[in-house]
Amino acid sequence: MEISVHTGQGKRPAIRTACAWALVLTAVWGQATITAANERDQAKRIHDRIAGVPPSGAVLDSMAADILSGDPEAAAYTAMESSAFYDVTLKNLVAPWTNEAMSSFVPLNDYTATVIGLVRDDADFRTLLYDDVLYVGDSSLGLPNYSISNNDHYVALEDGGYSLKDALVRVPQSNRNGLPPGATAGVLTSRAASRAFFSGGTNRAMFRFTLLNHLCNDLEQVHDITRPPDRIRQDVSRSPGGDSRVFLNNCVGCHSGMDPMAQAFAYYDYQYNPNTDPDGALGKLVYNAVGMTDPDTGTRVQAKYHINSANFEFGYVTPDDHWDNYWRHGANRRLGWDSALDGSGDGAKSLGRELASSDAFAECQVKKVFKAVCLRAPVDGNDRSQIATMTADFKSSGYHLKQVFAESAVYCMGE
Amino acid sequence: MTSGLLYRAVLRHDTLSETGASTGTRRLLAWALIALSLMLSGCNSGESTEPLPNTGSSSSNSNYSGPAPATDDVQNFKLSVWDNLVSTDRCGGCHAAGGQSPEFVHDGDINIAYARANTVVNLSDPSQSRMVTKVAGGHNCWLPSDSACADTLTSYIENWAGGSSGSAKKVELRAPAIHDPGSTKSFPDDSTDFANTVHPLLATYCSDCHVEGVQSPYFASPDVDTAYNEAKSKINLQSPADSRFVVRLRDEFHNCWDGDCAAAANEMQSAIELFAGNLTAQPIDSDLVASKALTLTGDGLVANSGGRFEDNVIALYEFKTGTGNTAFDTSGVEPALHLTLNGNVTWVGGWGINIGAGYVDEDTGQTIRDGKAQGSTSASRKLHDLITASGEYSIEAWVVPANTTQEDARIITYSGSGTSRNVTLSQTLQNYEVLQRSTTTDQTVPFATADGDERLQASLQHVVINFTASEGRKIFINGEDTGDVDPQNAGLLNEWDDSFALVLGNETDGNSLWQGSLRMVAIHNRALTPAQIRENFEAGVGQKYFLLFSVSHLIDVPQSYVVFQVSEYDNYSYLFTKPFFISLDDTQTPAGIPLQGMRIGINGKAATVGQAFANLDVSLNGADYTPGSGQPLSPLGTIIAKEKGPDSDEFFLSFERLGDHTNVTIEASLPPAPTPDDLAPVSDIGLKTFDEINASMSAMTDVPTTNAAVADTYATVRQQLPSSETIEGFQSSQQMGITQMAIQYCNELVSDTALRSGYFPGFNFGAAAQVAFDSTGRSQIIDPLLNRMVGQNLPSQPDTVAVRTELNALMDTLTQCGAGCASDRTETVVKASCAAVLGSAVTLVQ
Repeated sequence: MEISVHTGQGKRPAIRTACAWALVLTAVWGQATITAANERDQAKRIHDRIAGVPPSGAVLDSMAADILSGDPEAAAYTAMESSAFYDVTLKNLVAPWTNEAMSSFVPLNDYTATVIGLVRDDADFRTLLYDDVLYVGDSSLGLPNYSISNNDHYVALEDGGYSLKDALVRVPQSNRNGLPPGATAGVLTSRAASRAFFSGGTNRAMFRFTLLNHLCNDLEQVHDITRPPDRIRQDVSRSPGGDSRVFLNNCVGCHSGMDPMAQAFAYYDYQYNPNTDPDGALGKLVYNAVGMTDPDTGTRVQAKYHINSANFEFGYVTPDDHWDNYWRHGANRRLGWDSALDGSGDGAKSLGRELASSDAFAECQVKKVFKAVCLRAPVDGNDRSQIATMTADFKSSGYHLKQVFAESAVYCMGE
Repeated sequence: MTSGLLYRAVLRHDTLSETGASTGTRRLLAWALIALSLMLSGCNSGESTEPLPNTGSSSSNSNYSGPAPATDDVQNFKLSVWDNLVSTDRCGGCHAAGGQSPEFVHDGDINIAYARANTVVNLSDPSQSRMVTKVAGGHNCWLPSDSACADTLTSYIENWAGGSSGSAKKVELRAPAIHDPGSTKSFPDDSTDFANTVHPLLATYCSDCHVEGVQSPYFASPDVDTAYNEAKSKINLQSPADSRFVVRLRDEFHNCWDGDCAAAANEMQSAIELFAGNLTAQPIDSDLVASKALTLTGDGLVANSGGRFEDNVIALYEFKTGTGNTAFDTSGVEPALHLTLNGNVTWVGGWGINIGAGYVDEDTGQTIRDGKAQGSTSASRKLHDLITASGEYSIEAWVVPANTTQEDARIITYSGSGTSRNVTLSQTLQNYEVLQRSTTTDQTVPFATADGDERLQASLQHVVINFTASEGRKIFINGEDTGDVDPQNAGLLNEWDDSFALVLGNETDGNSLWQGSLRMVAIHNRALTPAQIRENFEAGVGQKYFLLFSVSHLIDVPQSYVVFQVSEYDNYSYLFTKPFFISLDDTQTPAGIPLQGMRIGINGKAATVGQAFANLDVSLNGADYTPGSGQPLSPLGTIIAKEKGPDSDEFFLSFERLGDHTNVTIEASLPPAPTPDDLAPVSDIGLKTFDEINASMSAMTDVPTTNAAVADTYATVRQQLPSSETIEGFQSSQQMGITQMAIQYCNELVSDTALRSGYFPGFNFGAAAQVAFDSTGRSQIIDPLLNRMVGQNLPSQPDTVAVRTELNALMDTLTQCGAGCASDRTETVVKASCAAVLGSAVTLVQ
């Protein structure tokens, strides 16, 4: 095998041999996997899965002792003491939620940092979608200040190699991005989410990706053509390409539920210069607060809510940010809406609470953690039962995500 | 208010109004037009010229030699109506002097003809003239389509009426016949009964034409299901004698078999009666709070109020025929520029044609070409003559592009080939394009809407292309000027070629297919003003009806109705818009009547999809109610899927609450969610992903991830490393990336004297390779690697003895150079040993 590599100091032909040896050792490892796991193996797996890195010898000993004493969850919590749990595992779990391409290869941003901070601080994870919350780098680190029009603060935080476990500080989001406190909605009004889901378009992306990332359902799974279409906006053609069957069988199934809820975002937009900054890297979230009027709509509603109005002139004309959850009826009752809430409201914050209070939200977080730790989706009755148990535990104990990590890691630590 | 059975209410809703300019004057002499054509073609076209109504007349006009017209109105009558109808192949064969009464084309005295004509026309509503309705009913139409003749006659009379028909048109609401919902039969899903009753007749007698590839609708298709679906709209299950199949034979004498229309009609009627006899009507749920029932074409009041500006229209296609291979030009400007439908062209319900791509019919093996509608070059010449005469034009269309991906797709073109044209409207992606021949424009270079504006949508759009000598080309979409500026100066149109043909949906050579629907096309030889364009846009397209759903039996308001404006939206649905409540008794006013949860029912049950008024919650009250025009209930509209067709589908409304009547339905509880199927077992172990590998290597070597050389290598190979934990997806290229990372980490570890002395305590990196790796030296290297990277007492990890053996072998190999080894050989061997472990599965697998 002939391998070369640039190390910054020229090629090292002798080291090429290492590659072949690595493969040899891989084969050796493969022979070893047939050996049954013991508590030390279980401890290592828990650490690997939670932190993404191997434990030190001392940590491994401590975790193995916990397992041996019948407290494997304590071992899992020990693994969560590793900074890599925040810098690697959580960051890569969250990064795909923050962009439309669902790519992990994106820089740290305020959305990701806020999720990491909430997990670290054992916050009620539902607040992710509605609190006036933001996590920023500690001011002592000398980072560029948080900006509403760039991501430099977080890029510097990441590139500086700072441990997010220690570096993140919770602040009121409204203090940094200028939104009225009542207009903040956790990560929904973060700059990263705004750039990804409020730029261009019609703001439906914010609803769809929240549904996808936090209720684990894409629109196809919640398709219900029986809901009243009275809130579907004018821009949705009722006869795409001249064939209204497309609308009656497909479009209406998503839009009838989505549009009345996406109305919650009617006052938000992401402003950027598409000519000089086509990716919106320098754009910012804007919000029409009380007293502000959009020149196109004559109300606080952003112009994007009234675009392509001739596509169906008898469609809904958005007058405000009042939202209603039509999926509290029909098949999507299965999402488990909170009966303590009334299924309607004004603005993103109350919608965020509606979504975060659903059974689907709790189950979704559990499934995501389960997959991150067990490296698979639930495959059988045992797995599904475990998901149900963990979801119940998650809800009954204050929505602490660390607990889900711990329970998942123990479930998948091997025998 | 009137009493008795007929009640009226005069409405002046915005959709019903019509400006005085909507119908206009088309009075000037045909020869004047020709003369002006000659004059204008030689001057700077269009500037400050007076509008020229289009008065092209029948080419078979007789030479009139009787008394002169007594008045200007008689003269207008002659030009607009008499000249077009006097020929013997139209009305002159019967209604001339001494012929059948009325003699409205009296050829001896135009003044007598004028007097007689006044007995059979309605100048305030030309479409309701007796002359028109008679022809529409099948009376000696000179075209294959009765409706085309009726529309053409209407145009003639409108031309005559001129300004006199321009007053705001009033739609009178009349009480429909009362019948209860749920009394209609529905078509069964299965086509078996149809196959045994009606289909044999169709397949025997209609299959020369009404099969795939020949002529739509394909109700004689050899495929029974296809035939069944196409035939439903022609069958009246409630009254078989009124089925279109029967009427077409009995009253319209359409291709009767055995030369006996009555017998053929009876045979068809018997077959339909047999088919319908097996079906029973399904009554509606007795708990429903339901209005009375209506059908669209049977009970609907025609709601079109005109409102279009067509004073200078020279070719008009409304596609009302719904059958056959001809799209009729009903502009009334002769010669009529009828279009022949070729290839994959089908009719759209509610007026229109759909142009599709060619295909091979699976049943017959026949190849159907790309669709297009094309006129003859001789008839198309009128476009050349009339437009070059005026020096300006408007091309107006209601279009529904099938997609936003087609390019160079010709929607409307007046051309000779793919590269030679007078004017073309085409689609490229989400842009409309105009190509034009003039003295200043290159006929192959399009003037288009701006890319970023995404003007073209795959939805019903009103498009107008204007050209004037002063402003050049302009594009209007849905009544609005797009603001795109013609980059070329406006030139003259006198270079237009009169040998070209008008084509819709394709190029003359058939190589530039446009896929989509055309609901109306109008060509004007004067540019429409922005106000006229807006007016035409707001007039909409297609036949509209008012449906008056009686609710008098539910509330204490006599003669009360919930009224919808309804139209066929396309082949598959109806459009219900802007409901309002009204009592036809102007003395009545509702007093706080609650109306909640209104649903549209079709054929005995609530429509599954499209209940846009299900959340309606209003109070019918005097404050919001205006006698004569009612109380608006909602500004919304919705579409409801067609089932049996506009002649047969029976609609009704139901309410959760109306007055004292309630029927609130409680949702049934959801059945338990089905248990998902078990998935295939998945590997218990997986790969570490990119950041995990980087962080693991950092943890195993003590080299920070922020080390510049490491960070640089990581940035290079990051996306080459595994991004998924799935172990089955591991690729050799990923191992290459891992190896590069391992080498870089080990290089940085060994090159840093502080780091390496802490990691490999006691090892003499300054010793030569042949002495450094003695037994002690090897342990000083291998032991830390095993402790830090492999771990101790971990059965799942590689066997340390085996690893030690392999590393020793590696060291043996790399130190064979002996005394001849390079001075940095010792470091190199350590780096290699480190990388061999670090780049292996001990790091990669979790």
